[in-house]
Amino acid sequence: MNEADDQRRLRARCACGWETVGDVEATVAATIDHGQRVHNMTATRDDVLASAEWLEAVEKGGPA
Amino acid sequence: MTRFPDGLDISGPVQAEVFVVWLNTDHLELTGPCGAAPWLIELGETEHPLAAVERVVRDVVGPPLLLHSTSWRRDRASVILSFVAVIEAGLVDGMESAPIDRTELARSSATAAPVTIDYRQVVEHGLRHMAWLAHDDRVVAETLPDDWRTVLAAYVPEPFRHLD
Repeated sequence: MNEADDQRRLRARCACGWETVGDVEATVAATIDHGQRVHNMTATRDDVLASAEWLEAVEKGGPA
Repeated sequence: MTRFPDGLDISGPVQAEVFVVWLNTDHLELTGPCGAAPWLIELGETEHPLAAVERVVRDVVGPPLLLHSTSWRRDRASVILSFVAVIEAGLVDGMESAPIDRTELARSSATAAPVTIDYRQVVEHGLRHMAWLAHDDRVVAETLPDDWRTVLAAYVPEPFRHLD
């Protein structure tokens, strides 16, 4: 993760509809916690990042 | 049922699909941490499915009054074990909830599975299974409150079965 990522906001969504938005560390932590607690699923940081989207990229319509 | 294919999703060869059901005065409603929808739980290699589901339901929603596996089927590249979790009204606590409508069951042909199975049909079968248990199983009969058994009397009793 580079310094620019620290400034960007990340949105992660669970297939069940739950979602969270925040800085990358908070989003990854909340998503891993949701998966473990609600779905008994062990997700990794890479799993979360692979399915999450950077809000700036979404807003600009560019690639995540 | 709305699922978001771009979201993080569970996987694994065996998964649980939990229907959290409660009695709202005189009718049954579906609720859960994922809304009024099936609640999917990943099942590991070692923990007993019933123990895993009971643990997760207890931690997330609260202790269920009753928890029963009611059917299974093949879906999502997994074997899906369906559970009905009966909870008290006080545990709904702001979770989205919706009345459960009656529906036709997904019926197999003599030697082939149903072409499609909607989750509402799985709920219907699960409640028919609970209606059967209310007559056949002493623990269920004694655990379910009287008003629950009154509502279940409208369901045709059915034992556990394979839906796919």
